[in-house]
Amino acid sequence: MRFWVNVLVVSLLVVCIVFFVHTAFAVTYQEAADQVAEADQTLRNAFNGVLDAEKNGANVSALLPRLTEAGSALTRAEEALRIGNYSDAVNRAGTCKSLASSVTGDAVALKIDAVAASGNWWIMVLFSVAASVVFTGVLFFVWRWFRRGYLKKMLGSRPEVTG
Amino acid sequence: MWSLNDYRTVLMAVGLIGVFVCCVPSVMLFARLPPGETFSELYVLGPGHMAEGYPFNVTGGVNYLVYVGVGNHMGSVAYYLLQVKFRNQTEPLPNSTSAVPSDLVSLYTYRVLIEDNSSSEVPLNFLLSDVSFSDNESTVGNILINGVQSTINEHSSWDTNSTGYYYQIFVELWIYEAKSDAFVFHNRFVNLWLNMTASS
Repeated sequence: MRFWVNVLVVSLLVVCIVFFVHTAFAVTYQEAADQVAEADQTLRNAFNGVLDAEKNGANVSALLPRLTEAGSALTRAEEALRIGNYSDAVNRAGTCKSLASSVTGDAVALKIDAVAASGNWWIMVLFSVAASVVFTGVLFFVWRWFRRGYLKKMLGSRPEVTG
Repeated sequence: MWSLNDYRTVLMAVGLIGVFVCCVPSVMLFARLPPGETFSELYVLGPGHMAEGYPFNVTGGVNYLVYVGVGNHMGSVAYYLLQVKFRNQTEPLPNSTSAVPSDLVSLYTYRVLIEDNSSSEVPLNFLLSDVSFSDNESTVGNILINGVQSTINEHSSWDTNSTGYYYQIFVELWIYEAKSDAFVFHNRFVNLWLNMTASS
Protein backbone atom coordinates (compact mmCIF):
# COMPACT_ATOMS: atom_id res chain seq x y z
CA MET A 1 0.00 0.00 0.00
CA ARG A 2 2.74 2.43 1.02
CA PHE A 3 4.53 1.70 -2.22
CA TRP A 4 1.50 2.72 -4.32
CA VAL A 5 1.08 5.92 -2.30
CA ASN A 6 4.69 6.81 -3.07
CA VAL A 7 4.16 6.08 -6.75
CA LEU A 8 1.07 8.31 -6.74
CA VAL A 9 2.92 11.19 -5.03
CA VAL A 10 5.86 10.95 -7.45
CA SER A 11 3.50 10.83 -10.41
CA LEU A 12 1.65 13.90 -9.14
CA LEU A 13 4.97 15.69 -8.69
CA VAL A 14 6.04 14.86 -12.24
CA VAL A 15 2.71 16.11 -13.61
CA CYS A 16 3.07 19.33 -11.59
CA ILE A 17 6.61 19.86 -12.88
CA VAL A 18 5.58 19.29 -16.48
CA PHE A 19 2.63 21.67 -16.35
CA PHE A 20 3.40 24.31 -13.74
CA VAL A 21 7.13 24.78 -14.29
CA HIS A 22 6.48 25.31 -17.99
CA THR A 23 3.74 27.80 -17.14
CA ALA A 24 5.96 29.57 -14.63
CA PHE A 25 8.75 30.10 -17.18
CA ALA A 26 6.54 30.71 -20.21
CA VAL A 27 6.82 34.17 -21.72
CA THR A 28 3.65 36.12 -22.26
CA TYR A 29 2.95 38.29 -25.28
CA GLN A 30 3.21 41.47 -23.19
CA GLU A 31 6.59 40.51 -21.76
CA ALA A 32 7.95 39.70 -25.20
CA ALA A 33 6.49 42.88 -26.69
CA ASP A 34 8.08 44.94 -23.90
CA GLN A 35 11.47 43.33 -24.52
CA VAL A 36 11.23 43.99 -28.26
CA ALA A 37 10.22 47.63 -27.67
CA GLU A 38 13.14 48.01 -25.26
CA ALA A 39 15.51 46.53 -27.83
CA ASP A 40 14.18 48.94 -30.46
CA GLN A 41 14.85 51.91 -28.17
CA THR A 42 18.30 50.59 -27.25
CA LEU A 43 19.18 50.32 -30.94
CA ARG A 44 17.97 53.88 -31.59
CA ASN A 45 20.05 55.13 -28.66
CA ALA A 46 23.08 53.28 -30.02
CA PHE A 47 22.56 54.85 -33.43
CA ASN A 48 22.25 58.31 -31.85
CA GLY A 49 25.51 57.66 -29.99
CA VAL A 50 27.25 56.67 -33.22
CA LEU A 51 25.85 59.74 -34.99
CA ASP A 52 27.06 61.97 -32.17
CA ALA A 53 30.53 60.42 -32.26
CA GLU A 54 30.71 60.89 -36.03
CA LYS A 55 29.66 64.55 -35.75
CA ASN A 56 32.54 65.05 -33.33
CA GLY A 57 34.99 63.70 -35.89
CA ALA A 58 35.23 60.04 -34.84
CA ASN A 59 35.62 57.28 -37.41
CA VAL A 60 32.64 55.04 -36.72
CA SER A 61 33.17 52.47 -39.50
CA ALA A 62 34.10 49.71 -37.06
CA LEU A 63 30.84 50.11 -35.14
CA LEU A 64 28.43 49.71 -38.04
CA PRO A 65 28.69 45.92 -38.61
CA ARG A 66 27.67 45.31 -34.98
CA LEU A 67 24.89 47.84 -35.24
CA THR A 68 23.61 46.15 -38.42
CA GLU A 69 23.75 42.79 -36.64
CA ALA A 70 21.71 44.28 -33.80
CA GLY A 71 19.20 45.53 -36.38
CA SER A 72 18.88 42.05 -37.88
CA ALA A 73 18.34 40.55 -34.42
CA LEU A 74 15.59 43.11 -33.77
CA THR A 75 13.90 42.29 -37.08
CA ARG A 76 13.93 38.59 -36.19
CA ALA A 77 12.61 39.38 -32.72
CA GLU A 78 9.70 41.27 -34.25
CA GLU A 79 8.96 38.38 -36.62
CA ALA A 80 9.09 35.89 -33.74
CA LEU A 81 6.70 38.10 -31.78
CA ARG A 82 4.35 38.29 -34.77
CA ILE A 83 4.15 34.51 -35.19
CA GLY A 84 3.74 33.93 -31.46
CA ASN A 85 7.17 32.54 -30.64
CA TYR A 86 7.56 34.73 -27.56
CA SER A 87 10.59 33.08 -25.97
CA ASP A 88 12.49 33.38 -29.25
CA ALA A 89 11.43 37.02 -29.48
CA VAL A 90 12.82 37.66 -26.00
CA ASN A 91 16.10 35.89 -26.82
CA ARG A 92 16.62 37.85 -30.03
CA ALA A 93 15.64 41.11 -28.37
CA GLY A 94 18.26 40.32 -25.73
CA THR A 95 20.89 39.79 -28.43
CA CYS A 96 19.93 43.10 -30.00
CA LYS A 97 20.15 44.95 -26.68
CA SER A 98 23.50 43.40 -25.83
CA LEU A 99 25.02 44.36 -29.20
CA ALA A 100 23.49 47.84 -29.20
CA SER A 101 24.66 48.53 -25.65
CA SER A 102 28.23 47.54 -26.51
CA VAL A 103 28.10 49.86 -29.54
CA THR A 104 26.83 52.71 -27.35
CA GLY A 105 29.78 52.23 -24.98
CA ASP A 106 32.29 52.17 -27.83
CA ALA A 107 30.69 55.21 -29.48
CA VAL A 108 31.07 57.21 -26.27
CA ALA A 109 34.76 56.19 -26.06
CA LEU A 110 35.32 57.16 -29.71
CA LYS A 111 33.63 60.50 -29.14
CA ILE A 112 35.83 61.26 -26.12
CA ASP A 113 38.95 60.45 -28.19
CA ALA A 114 37.73 62.57 -31.09
CA VAL A 115 36.93 65.54 -28.85
CA ALA A 116 40.35 65.23 -27.18
CA ALA A 117 42.05 65.09 -30.58
CA SER A 118 40.18 68.15 -31.82
CA GLY A 119 41.23 69.95 -28.61
CA ASN A 120 44.82 69.79 -29.87
CA TRP A 121 44.08 72.15 -32.75
CA TRP A 122 46.60 74.69 -31.41
CA ILE A 123 49.44 72.22 -32.09
CA MET A 124 48.50 72.26 -35.76
CA VAL A 125 48.27 76.05 -35.80
CA LEU A 126 51.63 76.34 -34.03
CA PHE A 127 53.13 73.95 -36.58
CA SER A 128 51.75 76.02 -39.46
CA VAL A 129 53.09 79.29 -38.04
CA ALA A 130 56.51 77.79 -37.24
CA ALA A 131 56.76 76.17 -40.67
CA SER A 132 55.81 79.45 -42.37
CA VAL A 133 58.40 81.43 -40.38
CA VAL A 134 61.16 78.89 -41.04
CA PHE A 135 60.30 78.70 -44.73
CA THR A 136 60.24 82.51 -45.08
CA GLY A 137 63.52 82.81 -43.17
CA VAL A 138 65.25 80.21 -45.35
CA LEU A 139 63.93 81.92 -48.46
CA PHE A 140 65.22 85.27 -47.18
CA PHE A 141 68.71 83.88 -46.67
CA VAL A 142 68.61 82.21 -50.10
CA TRP A 143 67.61 85.54 -51.59
CA ARG A 144 70.44 87.40 -49.87
CA TRP A 145 72.99 84.79 -50.97
CA PHE A 146 71.68 84.84 -54.50
CA ARG A 147 71.62 88.67 -54.72
CA ARG A 148 75.19 88.93 -53.47
CA GLY A 149 76.33 86.43 -56.07
CA TYR A 150 74.33 88.09 -58.78
CA LEU A 151 75.65 91.60 -58.04
CA LYS A 152 79.19 90.30 -57.72
CA LYS A 153 78.88 88.66 -61.08
CA MET A 154 77.38 91.79 -62.66
CA LEU A 155 79.97 94.16 -61.17
CA GLY A 156 82.83 91.85 -62.09
CA SER A 157 81.87 91.64 -65.72
CA ARG A 158 83.51 94.01 -68.23
CA PRO A 159 81.69 95.83 -70.96
CA GLU A 160 82.44 94.53 -74.43
CA VAL A 161 82.10 96.35 -77.67
CA THR A 162 80.79 94.24 -80.44
CA GLY A 163 80.32 94.85 -84.12
CA MET B 1 68.72 87.39 -69.16
CA TRP B 2 66.51 88.02 -66.13
CA SER B 3 67.01 91.15 -64.04
CA LEU B 4 67.34 91.10 -60.25
CA ASN B 5 63.72 92.30 -59.98
CA ASP B 6 62.53 89.30 -62.00
CA TYR B 7 64.33 86.92 -59.65
CA ARG B 8 62.85 88.73 -56.65
CA THR B 9 59.33 88.38 -58.07
CA VAL B 10 59.82 84.65 -58.63
CA LEU B 11 61.19 84.16 -55.12
CA MET B 12 58.30 86.10 -53.59
CA ALA B 13 55.84 83.93 -55.48
CA VAL B 14 57.62 80.79 -54.22
CA GLY B 15 57.50 82.24 -50.70
CA LEU B 16 53.77 82.92 -50.85
CA ILE B 17 53.03 79.45 -52.20
CA GLY B 18 55.19 77.90 -49.46
CA VAL B 19 53.44 79.84 -46.69
CA PHE B 20 50.05 78.86 -48.16
CA VAL B 21 51.04 75.18 -48.19
CA CYS B 22 52.21 75.40 -44.56
CA CYS B 23 48.89 76.95 -43.53
CA VAL B 24 46.61 74.46 -45.32
CA PRO B 25 46.39 71.95 -42.42
CA SER B 26 45.39 74.71 -39.99
CA VAL B 27 42.88 76.23 -42.39
CA MET B 28 41.31 72.79 -42.87
CA LEU B 29 40.64 72.62 -39.12
CA PHE B 30 38.34 75.61 -39.26
CA ALA B 31 37.12 75.81 -42.84
CA ARG B 32 33.93 73.88 -43.53
CA LEU B 33 33.11 73.17 -47.12
CA PRO B 34 29.44 73.74 -47.94
CA PRO B 35 27.56 70.41 -47.81
CA GLY B 36 26.44 69.05 -51.16
CA GLU B 37 22.96 67.85 -51.91
CA THR B 38 21.92 65.13 -49.48
CA PHE B 39 19.92 62.19 -50.77
CA SER B 40 19.45 58.44 -50.53
CA GLU B 41 19.36 55.88 -53.30
CA LEU B 42 17.00 52.93 -53.50
CA TYR B 43 17.27 50.40 -56.29
CA VAL B 44 16.43 46.81 -57.11
CA LEU B 45 18.71 44.35 -58.91
CA GLY B 46 18.14 40.93 -60.37
CA PRO B 47 19.44 37.66 -58.93
CA GLY B 48 22.91 38.25 -60.45
CA HIS B 49 23.27 41.69 -58.80
CA MET B 50 22.67 43.22 -62.24
CA ALA B 51 19.79 45.27 -63.64
CA GLU B 52 18.50 42.23 -65.51
CA GLY B 53 16.76 38.93 -64.92
CA TYR B 54 13.96 40.40 -62.80
CA PRO B 55 11.13 37.96 -62.15
CA PHE B 56 8.00 38.89 -64.10
CA ASN B 57 5.95 35.81 -65.03
CA VAL B 58 5.71 34.17 -61.65
CA THR B 59 4.19 30.92 -60.48
CA GLY B 60 3.01 29.73 -57.11
CA GLY B 61 5.48 27.61 -55.15
CA VAL B 62 8.59 28.95 -56.88
CA ASN B 63 11.21 30.94 -55.00
CA TYR B 64 12.36 34.20 -56.58
CA LEU B 65 15.36 36.29 -55.64
CA VAL B 66 16.13 39.96 -56.20
CA TYR B 67 18.40 42.36 -54.35
CA VAL B 68 17.36 45.68 -52.89
CA GLY B 69 20.09 48.30 -52.61
CA VAL B 70 20.28 51.43 -50.50
CA GLY B 71 22.84 54.20 -50.94
CA ASN B 72 23.51 56.80 -48.27
CA HIS B 73 24.52 60.31 -49.35
CA MET B 74 22.98 62.10 -46.38
CA GLY B 75 26.26 63.51 -45.09
CA SER B 76 26.38 61.24 -42.04
CA VAL B 77 25.68 57.67 -40.96
CA ALA B 78 22.01 56.77 -41.58
CA TYR B 79 19.54 54.26 -40.17
CA TYR B 80 17.02 53.02 -42.74
CA LEU B 81 13.98 50.78 -42.67
CA LEU B 82 12.99 48.94 -45.82
CA GLN B 83 9.36 47.89 -45.73
CA VAL B 84 8.27 45.22 -48.17
CA LYS B 85 4.62 45.37 -49.26
CA PHE B 86 2.44 43.54 -51.75
CA ARG B 87 -0.52 44.88 -53.72
CA ASN B 88 -2.85 44.20 -56.58
CA GLN B 89 -3.58 46.79 -59.26
CA THR B 90 -6.35 48.48 -57.33
CA GLU B 91 -4.51 49.05 -54.06
CA PRO B 92 -2.51 52.21 -53.41
CA LEU B 93 1.17 52.76 -54.04
CA PRO B 94 3.04 55.41 -52.02
CA ASN B 95 2.23 58.94 -53.15
CA SER B 96 5.50 60.58 -54.23
CA THR B 97 3.92 63.98 -54.72
CA SER B 98 2.68 64.29 -51.16
CA ALA B 99 5.38 61.97 -49.72
CA VAL B 100 2.81 59.65 -48.18
CA PRO B 101 3.59 55.92 -47.82
CA SER B 102 1.20 53.20 -48.88
CA ASP B 103 -1.21 52.27 -46.11
CA LEU B 104 -0.77 48.57 -46.84
CA VAL B 105 0.69 46.38 -44.12
CA SER B 106 4.44 45.81 -44.19
CA LEU B 107 5.14 42.10 -44.72
CA TYR B 108 8.84 42.23 -43.99
CA THR B 109 11.17 44.87 -42.59
CA TYR B 110 14.90 45.29 -43.08
CA ARG B 111 16.99 47.47 -40.81
CA VAL B 112 19.96 48.89 -42.66
CA LEU B 113 22.62 51.12 -41.12
CA ILE B 114 25.01 52.68 -43.62
CA GLU B 115 27.97 55.03 -43.51
CA ASP B 116 27.93 58.20 -45.55
CA ASN B 117 28.78 57.65 -49.23
CA SER B 118 28.30 53.90 -48.92
CA SER B 119 25.64 51.49 -50.05
CA SER B 120 24.26 48.15 -48.97
CA GLU B 121 22.36 45.41 -50.78
CA VAL B 122 20.01 42.99 -49.08
CA PRO B 123 18.50 39.83 -50.61
CA LEU B 124 14.75 39.69 -51.10
CA ASN B 125 13.61 36.08 -51.44
CA PHE B 126 9.92 35.65 -52.03
CA LEU B 127 7.61 32.76 -52.77
CA LEU B 128 3.90 33.00 -53.49
CA SER B 129 1.70 30.10 -52.45
CA ASP B 130 -1.94 29.06 -52.22
CA VAL B 131 -2.48 30.50 -55.70
CA SER B 132 -5.78 29.86 -57.46
CA PHE B 133 -7.56 31.01 -60.62
CA SER B 134 -11.30 31.26 -61.21
CA ASP B 135 -13.74 33.46 -63.16
CA ASN B 136 -11.14 35.81 -64.61
CA GLU B 137 -9.63 36.33 -61.19
CA SER B 138 -6.52 35.03 -59.50
CA THR B 139 -5.91 34.80 -55.80
CA VAL B 140 -2.63 34.64 -53.90
CA GLY B 141 -3.15 33.28 -50.41
CA ASN B 142 0.29 33.50 -48.85
CA ILE B 143 3.65 35.07 -49.41
CA LEU B 144 6.91 33.90 -47.89
CA ILE B 145 9.53 36.64 -47.70
CA ASN B 146 12.99 35.63 -46.50
CA GLY B 147 11.43 32.72 -44.62
CA VAL B 148 8.69 34.78 -42.99
CA GLN B 149 5.21 33.77 -44.03
CA SER B 150 2.26 36.15 -44.24
CA THR B 151 -1.32 35.53 -45.24
CA ILE B 152 -2.35 38.12 -47.80
CA ASN B 153 -5.35 36.79 -49.77
CA GLU B 154 -4.80 39.23 -52.63
CA HIS B 155 -7.11 39.08 -55.64
CA SER B 156 -6.35 40.34 -59.12
CA SER B 157 -8.74 40.53 -62.05
CA TRP B 158 -7.71 39.64 -65.59
CA ASP B 159 -6.13 42.69 -67.22
CA THR B 160 -7.43 42.69 -70.79
CA ASN B 161 -4.98 45.39 -71.94
CA SER B 162 -1.82 43.78 -70.61
CA THR B 163 -3.23 40.25 -70.68
CA GLY B 164 -2.33 38.98 -67.27
CA TYR B 165 -3.08 38.88 -63.56
CA TYR B 166 -0.89 41.62 -62.20
CA TYR B 167 0.47 42.14 -58.72
CA GLN B 168 3.25 44.30 -57.43
CA ILE B 169 5.83 43.72 -54.75
CA PHE B 170 7.32 47.01 -53.65
CA VAL B 171 9.78 48.29 -51.09
CA GLU B 172 9.45 51.61 -49.26
CA LEU B 173 12.42 53.46 -47.82
CA TRP B 174 12.03 54.96 -44.36
CA ILE B 175 14.71 56.87 -42.48
CA TYR B 176 15.27 57.41 -38.79
CA GLU B 177 15.18 61.05 -37.67
CA ALA B 178 17.14 61.57 -34.48
CA LYS B 179 15.36 64.87 -33.78
CA SER B 180 11.91 63.33 -33.57
CA ASP B 181 13.15 59.86 -32.51
CA ALA B 182 10.95 58.34 -35.22
CA PHE B 183 11.12 56.75 -38.64
CA VAL B 184 9.67 58.84 -41.44
CA PHE B 185 8.86 57.86 -45.01
CA HIS B 186 11.82 58.97 -47.14
CA ASN B 187 9.65 59.32 -50.25
CA ARG B 188 11.39 56.59 -52.18
CA PHE B 189 10.14 53.21 -53.28
CA VAL B 190 10.94 50.58 -55.86
CA ASN B 191 8.58 48.00 -57.26
CA LEU B 192 8.41 44.88 -59.36
CA TRP B 193 5.45 43.97 -61.52
CA LEU B 194 4.52 40.30 -61.24
CA ASN B 195 2.27 38.50 -63.71
CA MET B 196 0.77 35.51 -61.96
CA THR B 197 0.67 32.47 -64.20
CA ALA B 198 -0.58 28.96 -63.69
CA SER B 199 2.71 27.44 -64.81
CA SER B 200 6.11 28.81 -65.75
